[in-house]
Amino acid sequence: MNDRNRKIGEYIPAPDDDVIVCRCEEITKGEIRRAVHDGMFTLTEIRRYLRTGMGLCQGQTCTRLVKGIVARELGIRPNELREATGRAPMRPIEMCILAKDKEEKE
Amino acid sequence: MNAEVIIVGGGIIGCAAAYNLAKNGTSVLVLEGSENIGNGGSSRNGGGVRQSGRDPRELPLAMYAIKHIWKELSDMLDTDVEYYQHGNLRLGSTQKHRQILEGLTKRGAEYGLDVRMIDGYEARQINPYLSEEVTCASWCPTDGHANPLMATMGYYKMARRLGAHFISGEKVKELRKIKGAARQVVTESGNVYEGDKIIVAAGYDSRFIASTVGIDIPMQPVLLETLVTEAAAPMFWQMLGTADADFYGHQTTHGSFVFGLNSGYEPYAKPGKPFSSSIAASAACRGIMHYFPSLADIKIVRSWAGWMDSCADHVPVISTVEEVPGLILACGFSGHGFGISPAVGLLLSQLALEQETVLDLSAFRYNRFS
Amino acid sequence: MKRYDMIVVGAGPAGLCAAIEAAKCGMHVVVYDENAKPGGQLFKQIHKFFGSKEHKAKIRGFKIGEELLEEADALGVEVVLNAVVIGLFPEKEITVKIEEHVEHVKGDTILIATGASENMVTFPGWTLPGVIGAGAAQTMMNLHGILPGKRVLMLGSGNVGLVVSFQLMQAGCEVVALADAAPRVGGYGVHAAKVARCGVPFYLSHTILCAEGDDHVTGVTIGEVDKNWQVIKGTEKYFEVDTICLAVGLSPMSKLCDMAGCDMEDNPAKAGFVPIVNEYGETSIPGIYAAGDVSGIEEASSAMIEGRIAGIAAAVRMGFLTKEAGDAEFKKQKTALEGLRQGMFAPGMRGKAITQTEEGVAISKNLLEHGFVAEEEIERFPGVTHRKGIHPVIECTQNIPCNPCQDACPKHCIKIGSKITALPAVDPEVSCSGCGMCVASCSGQAIFLVDEDCGDGTAQITMPYEFLPLPQEGEKGIALSRSGEKVCEAQVVGVRSAKAFDHTRLLTIKVAKEYAMKARFFRREDAR
Repeated sequence: MNDRNRKIGEYIPAPDDDVIVCRCEEITKGEIRRAVHDGMFTLTEIRRYLRTGMGLCQGQTCTRLVKGIVARELGIRPNELREATGRAPMRPIEMCILAKDKEEKE
Repeated sequence: MNAEVIIVGGGIIGCAAAYNLAKNGTSVLVLEGSENIGNGGSSRNGGGVRQSGRDPRELPLAMYAIKHIWKELSDMLDTDVEYYQHGNLRLGSTQKHRQILEGLTKRGAEYGLDVRMIDGYEARQINPYLSEEVTCASWCPTDGHANPLMATMGYYKMARRLGAHFISGEKVKELRKIKGAARQVVTESGNVYEGDKIIVAAGYDSRFIASTVGIDIPMQPVLLETLVTEAAAPMFWQMLGTADADFYGHQTTHGSFVFGLNSGYEPYAKPGKPFSSSIAASAACRGIMHYFPSLADIKIVRSWAGWMDSCADHVPVISTVEEVPGLILACGFSGHGFGISPAVGLLLSQLALEQETVLDLSAFRYNRFS
Repeated sequence: MKRYDMIVVGAGPAGLCAAIEAAKCGMHVVVYDENAKPGGQLFKQIHKFFGSKEHKAKIRGFKIGEELLEEADALGVEVVLNAVVIGLFPEKEITVKIEEHVEHVKGDTILIATGASENMVTFPGWTLPGVIGAGAAQTMMNLHGILPGKRVLMLGSGNVGLVVSFQLMQAGCEVVALADAAPRVGGYGVHAAKVARCGVPFYLSHTILCAEGDDHVTGVTIGEVDKNWQVIKGTEKYFEVDTICLAVGLSPMSKLCDMAGCDMEDNPAKAGFVPIVNEYGETSIPGIYAAGDVSGIEEASSAMIEGRIAGIAAAVRMGFLTKEAGDAEFKKQKTALEGLRQGMFAPGMRGKAITQTEEGVAISKNLLEHGFVAEEEIERFPGVTHRKGIHPVIECTQNIPCNPCQDACPKHCIKIGSKITALPAVDPEVSCSGCGMCVASCSGQAIFLVDEDCGDGTAQITMPYEFLPLPQEGEKGIALSRSGEKVCEAQVVGVRSAKAFDHTRLLTIKVAKEYAMKARFFRREDAR
């Protein structure tokens, strides 16, 4: 149960708010922190709202960083936040290659 | 915990209703069963804001939303919902396609929609990236698309700012009538919430929830699958579809293309967690490249699946339930709820407040199946 | 659809070992790997591995990879490279990108051994070119033969940070400093010691404040942190560097498990988001296994055993091995795994402050705080003894699961015993022939042969040496202490190489005898 109206305090600007956290989508720490105060309490919501981890690397680099920032803002442990679901394709793949799928018969 | 209105389901319908109610000063509590707001079709659809191709019963909702709400929505929600009103092209390449498109066009025009058939040449004037395969298309210039994630989260954010109370991870087990009216919402965690009105907007799960007060809506879960590409330089802003409905989609503000897929096997997906199929994305890529050869080298970064609540007659139930006073149903959106969601949110708030609705909802009555 | 008895995703140590065990039992196994070379991270590990003889200790990582690959090949395992598994669907169907198309293949069992990816930390300037993962630096150097930079600051004192720092120096880079926000060195003391004696200063309780530079890194500022990780004003230190290497841990690359629908957990003890597996490595989906870093970050040696266990489990499941035979195998592997998971660096010890060794010797505080054992500390360890004539001095001061030195001495003068984590001791009764096998066998480069008094006022120290160009006999230079500081003049009196040393050269230097227990490294005169 996750009460979205529980008190997490006000958003207080921090000197490192302009540090980029998600490199692929160029999302800053401050944007992530503000999103939490706008009610985005899960990594999936942050991702849907800000596009963190939605770029070419699919969150391989920033997931752990975002998790840490969101957890801190919410006052919880990072491992209480579930990572966004893994989805195919595991690596970016050209449309023309994905279009060529075949089943090898034995 | 009590509220004047309890909304079961934190998807875009529930969030839009919450926003309209909170704006009115009504106390509202939204219960979302999953961990995430907007976790069902709201965050998994292709983002179409269409009137063309709609069932005539649904068309007034779409027209109303487009005429009165979508353009203002980004300002209203203090969130860029990435709404583009650059028209909808529904593409065809065969005689059979032409027949399908002509049927849809005729039906739309009869209800006062600006939609017409165009030939391949004109289609390529509108969208120069189309291949020569395209020989005909339907064209509705007032259609468009938006970002479902931003619209859903925007409604949520603003509703919350206006005082709506949201709880996620709170799955509803049953509704209870108290002295003849729907009043209590009991959750799996054992909590009991009380409200004067209860709006059920929980996708396919609405069926089980409504059933606890003796109402059944004939609908079934149908898989929907979507994929998204890497970002590309801006190419076009129309919403796209095909006569065969094998894919639909658009380019987003971000530059990526979002395409909904259709392999034909979606109604047969196994129940439970929605899994992308191993074949649908490949099939869609072939379809997309057939009409957009220049997208051949763009990379697909992610695909996902979700459930839509497909109603027996493919239009939703948006209805009060006289035999269960206080209960309002909003479900069975059948995969085209996103474009009309701003209108539905407004209408639901009016039903809950017992105001006169801005549109006639008689076509969406819960008891039309009997 | 094409179907295998077992599909293995990832040709690293876990994947290859699983494939080998399954194929040994007669299973038809395919291994897919997205890289052009198999072996996972093994192929860039040019250092000798720790562990026991039975589990490839003292063999260099890339060599282990080659051996595993040969073994798999001989058993008929298909290893398909440049093959990117892009999806894992119900019914154990995978889609794999091979060349310019995608294939659908099914496995009756599937092992996910996709390994891990490097963690990053953020600081102003962290996105500048020149800030790279330590593993990436290692790939550049050891696989592609490209120097990541000239002057490097390493952040992270775990084994990756330590090993890569050493390898950067081997490749010809200058490592200007090694920093870590933690108050203690995280990796093996022997790895730290070999970096420290090359002259790399350790800054524990230090973090990066910012990277300087407009379009690439030109410098870095670090600062000391207090107990609450707040930077202490006035402790800032600036280094001119062109590269900042981040060795701040790994995260399991477990998205494929998640996509398949395996039950997952975010487990700090396993360093991240991992599939929940049973003792056989089986996930919540019967027949889908996970082994190696993907199911919890550990060393390659444990990944290999986890892979073997999963391979055997798959063979039992599919009826290629009887339950009894499987149980016997499991027992063997589990014992080995438990052996590796002992000592001061065992998974269960993470975050615990240790004050003494299993033998009851007070641990070296200086090693943890500065990267080297202080002179006044070294004498208390059992491998450090004195006697007339040449003899080994084993500066191994922590309980780690490693024992090749015990078997290296042809005269059996080094004793570890049956407990693999015990500190090596020197048997005073056995005379030393000075063959140097122990020096070359020590993966931690912690064994020296010392003749404390050659009779002419000098002492001779034989040390492992893995740098080029190799000093010549007669060459003069400087002896460095354990901390990398100049202690005295030194002259090379011997350079030995042998096949059995496996590319580790044995350098013997002559110093004034009072420096016999101080001089631990040699710097050529023309070197920096």
